[in-house]
Amino acid sequence: MEVLTSLYENPITQEIISWFLFFFGVGLPIAFIFWLIGLKGFIELTRFEKGSTFLYKMNPLTKILFGIAVMVVASTTIWWIGAILTFAILPLYLTLNNGVKKFNYVLMLTFSSIVGSTWAIAPYTPPSVLQQVFPNQNYVTVWVWPSYFVAMGYEPTLTLQAIIYGLQTSFRVTATLVSALLLVVTTSVSDLFRVFTKIKVPLAVTFSLLVGLRTVPKVFELLDTSVKMQMLRGLGYGKPRGIRTLYYIYGAFMAIIPAMVYLFRGAKTLAISADTRAFRAYPSRTSLKEVPFTNYDYIMFGVIVGLIVLDIVANLLGFGRSIPYVGL
Amino acid sequence: MMNAIEVKNLEVTYQGRASPSLKVDEFFVEEGESVLIVGKSGSGKSTLVNVLNGVIPNMITAEVKGEISVFGKDPRKTPIHELSKYIGTVLQDPEMQTFNYTVEDEIAFGPENLMLSKEEIRRRVENSAKIAGVYHLLDREIITLSGGELQRTVIASVLAMEPKALILDEPTSNIDPKGTAQIFNLIKFFREERRTLIIVEHKLERVLPYVDRVVLIDNGKLVFDVDKDELVEKSDILFEAGVEVPEYYLHMKKFGTLSNYKYSPPKRFESNGEEVLYAKVKVVTKKEKKVIVDAEISLKKGEIVALMGNNGAGKSTLLKAIMGILDEKRLQAEAKIVFKGKDISKSSIMERGSYIAYLPQNFDVMLVKRTVEDEVAFAMKNMKKYSRERLEEILKMFSLYNLRKEDPLLLSMGQRRRVAMASVIASGAEVVLMDEPTSGQDWHHRYMLGKEIQELRNKGFTFLIVTHDSRFVDKFCDRVLVMKEGKIVANGKPEEIFLREDLEIHPPTEYLVSKHGSLNFII
Repeated sequence: MEVLTSLYENPITQEIISWFLFFFGVGLPIAFIFWLIGLKGFIELTRFEKGSTFLYKMNPLTKILFGIAVMVVASTTIWWIGAILTFAILPLYLTLNNGVKKFNYVLMLTFSSIVGSTWAIAPYTPPSVLQQVFPNQNYVTVWVWPSYFVAMGYEPTLTLQAIIYGLQTSFRVTATLVSALLLVVTTSVSDLFRVFTKIKVPLAVTFSLLVGLRTVPKVFELLDTSVKMQMLRGLGYGKPRGIRTLYYIYGAFMAIIPAMVYLFRGAKTLAISADTRAFRAYPSRTSLKEVPFTNYDYIMFGVIVGLIVLDIVANLLGFGRSIPYVGL
Repeated sequence: MMNAIEVKNLEVTYQGRASPSLKVDEFFVEEGESVLIVGKSGSGKSTLVNVLNGVIPNMITAEVKGEISVFGKDPRKTPIHELSKYIGTVLQDPEMQTFNYTVEDEIAFGPENLMLSKEEIRRRVENSAKIAGVYHLLDREIITLSGGELQRTVIASVLAMEPKALILDEPTSNIDPKGTAQIFNLIKFFREERRTLIIVEHKLERVLPYVDRVVLIDNGKLVFDVDKDELVEKSDILFEAGVEVPEYYLHMKKFGTLSNYKYSPPKRFESNGEEVLYAKVKVVTKKEKKVIVDAEISLKKGEIVALMGNNGAGKSTLLKAIMGILDEKRLQAEAKIVFKGKDISKSSIMERGSYIAYLPQNFDVMLVKRTVEDEVAFAMKNMKKYSRERLEEILKMFSLYNLRKEDPLLLSMGQRRRVAMASVIASGAEVVLMDEPTSGQDWHHRYMLGKEIQELRNKGFTFLIVTHDSRFVDKFCDRVLVMKEGKIVANGKPEEIFLREDLEIHPPTEYLVSKHGSLNFII
């Protein structure tokens, strides 16, 4: 036991654990994303696929407003409201085409976001912030970082309260993420274009946004091809199976530049194709199809109003954000 | 007849260039006329058409001198959207030109931009979809279309602008034989309705029946502009300019007739060597359990084997299954892969890569290093086979030694392909699987590729090449495998395969001219 204690207290061991914790927050979500979701999974989560359930029948504008409402509520109320919203929205994925698969992917993505966000916030949170969140508490020190970690913006110690604060804050991110992805997987680019035009978003901005949206699944597809090509050329060759995921991640990072160059070459073709079909001939466009509002939209408007009321009531009852936004 | 297009003393100089990339003294197109523009890649063909549709200088910056008139408008002073009512443009890669979700949305895109009424948009969508033969596909999702269907959708979306003239810039370069035939049928229709057409196309003899004149552009200059009947006289000039010229054109020029023309295919390499690769592959979809591929292949040392068949036949899937890089979330494979007698079915993809190299169609995405030599050394270092001597040997083998310090992504397409090929071979692989390496390339580049492959064969490499390019196959391959609905349905020498009509393979026209004794054949 004494040996273990002395080994634990050895400065080298402390350094190793510190660096392990440092990389844990970055590495675990990324490894989790690549290992369990994979680039192919991301294609599923970023591409519209036709479906017939109520989310597909809703007007894109309703889904945009819902996403905005969720974001506002999650960011202006106490953390557990964001958590409830996250877990309330998640089951909606089960109603989609290939719902179980998409639900599993988004669940894993949510978990990764929670770990990643927590770890991105906790070590940087100063005691002055924790004082506002957890007033009159004794802070429990979980780990003492090497002094030079301060250069990276880390606080000298990691407290249990900082981790809890990071975890709480992560739900503001996850609620917004799951509602935004719901819009992406249930709305076609063409319908979004029509709605954005109707609400007078400038055409150039709309086109840029939607080309980006349309390109995201293609990026993952290209990254996947590139990584496989690198593996065929020996990336991770002779290495234990357990650490191949790390090589896969490394390969994905290396693939970003060639994938982007490939897409930019294609973007020129798309730009010519759009402009030679009179794109931006006028400040607006007409539409062949109307994107109607259905009963589902009216129900969702009710939900959106409910969310706004919830936000107001929560704030009035003292369940607003613990730390006010500076300047707001 | 009035000239639809008139160009005089044109000079186009791209930004940063000291001299013009294109000089044309005179070029015109009458209304209702159809003109074919030929020339190898980089010769200036696309520059000319981009000047006519206003893309240069409105979207691509360049100094444009001279007189240009497109239906009385100067493209330099006319917004592109205004010009699009007069001249429509269809580009090479249909996938890159589409943006919308369904066929109907894509066709409606242009009329919607013109702020037309719903009724007018509907009328235009229906009309152009009927002309392009995609009316029955209006509700289909774009991503589910075949190459031919997709390109016809693009053509319909351009027709919906109701332009007086059409520019078709290599519209069949990226699609399979079935899709190519559909596009040529459409061009035939446009010809019959006397629509003004400017066609840039490598498949000279197939498009020739539908044009009045042929223009050759080479090294940025308009070399000749002749009636199509005079083309045979110019066939040697075309050949020297790197244009794909059927052999019988040269014969006709020499003898003035086709009567004694008999095509002799090149001598095929017959390998008596060992079997280097055996693969028995079955691929099924996980969800529907549908069989995508059920095939068995065998390659002998030094062979160059072509794998042909229409899109969706399972060619690319077979290659990916052999390499072990299938989409495992969607597909399930049972594969027995034997390399030189060694069963590598259970090997990791890294290990398979040390025996078999694979070059995808979009090979650019594999160029992850910032210098050519690092790219080629990548596999050698990963597989602990690095030696400076071997690296230099490979660089020299692919004429890359002088480019070794360059960034691969900044090289020309031919050079990039050579870097990609060198880098996969550097793993030590002796068998190379290539997925559509000839797609979208002119004859000059395809010819260079064929020569490189034959040189590598002489050094002991074996090739399996997925391609639609029957002239390339005839010229450079020893054997052809034909796939249909996931199965190998024919296996033989190119000349044996090309004579069979049941396989839906379009032979090089030399075979048809030899068979029929005339140019009057249906292709």
